[in-house]
Amino acid sequence: MDNKLQSIVLDWIPNHSKVVDFGCGDGTLLRILTEHKSVTGYGVENDPEKINACIINGVSVIQQDIDAGIQNYKGMGFNFAVMASSIQCLRKPRDAMKNILEVANECVITLPNFGNWELRLGILNGKMPSSTQLPAKWYETKNLHLCTIADFEELCSEESFTIKKTVYLNRRGSSSWLANTFPNLFAAQAVYLIG
Amino acid sequence: MKVITKKIPFSNPLTLQSGQTLSSFELMTETYGELNSERTNAVLVCHAFSGNHHAAGIKDGDKKPGWWDEIIGDGKTIDTTKFFVVSLNNIGGCHGSSGPTTISSESGQPYGASFPEVSVRDWVETQKILADHFEINCWEMVAGGSLGGMQALQWAISYPERIKKAAIIAASSKISTQNIALNEVAREIIKKDENFHNGDYLAQDKSPSKGLKAARMLGHITYLSESNMSKRFGRKLQDPENKMDADINYEVENYLQYKGEQFAKTFDANSYILMTKAMDSFDPARDFDNDLVKCLQSTQAKLLISSFDSDWLFPKEYGLDIQMSAIKAGIDSTYIELDGDYGHDSFLFYSDQYASALKNFLNSNG
Repeated sequence: MDNKLQSIVLDWIPNHSKVVDFGCGDGTLLRILTEHKSVTGYGVENDPEKINACIINGVSVIQQDIDAGIQNYKGMGFNFAVMASSIQCLRKPRDAMKNILEVANECVITLPNFGNWELRLGILNGKMPSSTQLPAKWYETKNLHLCTIADFEELCSEESFTIKKTVYLNRRGSSSWLANTFPNLFAAQAVYLIG
Repeated sequence: MKVITKKIPFSNPLTLQSGQTLSSFELMTETYGELNSERTNAVLVCHAFSGNHHAAGIKDGDKKPGWWDEIIGDGKTIDTTKFFVVSLNNIGGCHGSSGPTTISSESGQPYGASFPEVSVRDWVETQKILADHFEINCWEMVAGGSLGGMQALQWAISYPERIKKAAIIAASSKISTQNIALNEVAREIIKKDENFHNGDYLAQDKSPSKGLKAARMLGHITYLSESNMSKRFGRKLQDPENKMDADINYEVENYLQYKGEQFAKTFDANSYILMTKAMDSFDPARDFDNDLVKCLQSTQAKLLISSFDSDWLFPKEYGLDIQMSAIKAGIDSTYIELDGDYGHDSFLFYSDQYASALKNFLNSNG
């Protein structure tokens, strides 16, 4: 997760929150949140190397498949959940969203936008597209359910997930007029606070 | 690696969880490495059911090294150039600490069956007394597998301010019903040995070694995974020249016979019963309305809970159960699921994933 995303989450998360980060990677975000926001944080991760990195980082982590694991975290007293660039890797993203909102009152979800012009060009070229956010080849990608910003926001409205805050980021990971005005075309990534 | 093996006497009476008292007791200990001047680099390792104080290195005359030799040593996972490692034989055992084979000062006879019932909590109490003896105010880590992991968990609960990290490996906060059942079969086999004499075999100069051997054979199966046994032995027939018994057909039979016999030579039947009873009764949540979350509430130590995928004696759900309670209680706790081919015994053996998790946990900032 890059610095921009870290600063957004740092900005949104209340001090002393109890946080669960699904797909926490090497635990960097949780470490930063612990240092700056005094959170009590737990990561959920299934990759042994990343888990090891979490242990080195001094971050509490649970080795578990996210799809199967999310619902185990209901009633555990979390008030904040993070799912950074993992939602499209899940087998049932809609169920996962419902479950996350039962795990915590608020959650941050980041989404690689499959509607971005660069990816659209790739498709026009007749090839599966790749980008900084989605670098893997089609035969190696972990992504199962890619979607566009428009798709995701439609799902939120259908399911009455309240989008409290949104930040659209361009390919360089910063906010821009273009990305804000035509997010589905120019944003490479969207960050949502959902409650 | 500096190794010191020493029997340490404690003259104050020890009141056990059962309410019974030992007027004095001895602990057989072994330490590795050196305690730093601040006394902050101490690691306690707790042995499992049939282990003892000899955790690392090879002693003169021994063929096999200590039970955790793959993990403890200079430059190893628990690096004895950095840490002072304390290992001990728990009371009730039969390798030098007070137990059923010890001569009772009151009767002048071996305690035998009259040695009081001991619990995991009692062991932690004696280990705390041992920490005081070494003037170790706070363990950097308490670690153990199986019954040893239960002691690490009990430490985190009993003495939150005296332990920074607890590595709870292939363990649980209480054993499964199936596990109690298996222990009971083992005890029954021992008790039905004609030489058991209600546990007073030492006074009669007898040994229920047949029962002890058979009990261990049963136990040994539970420590291994089905796949590991298949890989190691398959259906290979035993070479006729090395048969333990004329009736033996398969290698696996010979292996169990051999392991059982070796075990019966070095272990005490009353200790076997005491140790399995201690394992059965371990359930720290019982004093907290059966709520493990409440039980963990005052814990300050960081926990590392590890389960092995091939362990059917302490299935991973049990490790995960401690983890979920720890999360609910809001304490630092990590849960990992390791690939280990050896079943329950996997905790004894080095693997990259296992060793790096344990090493990084031990070296992470408390």
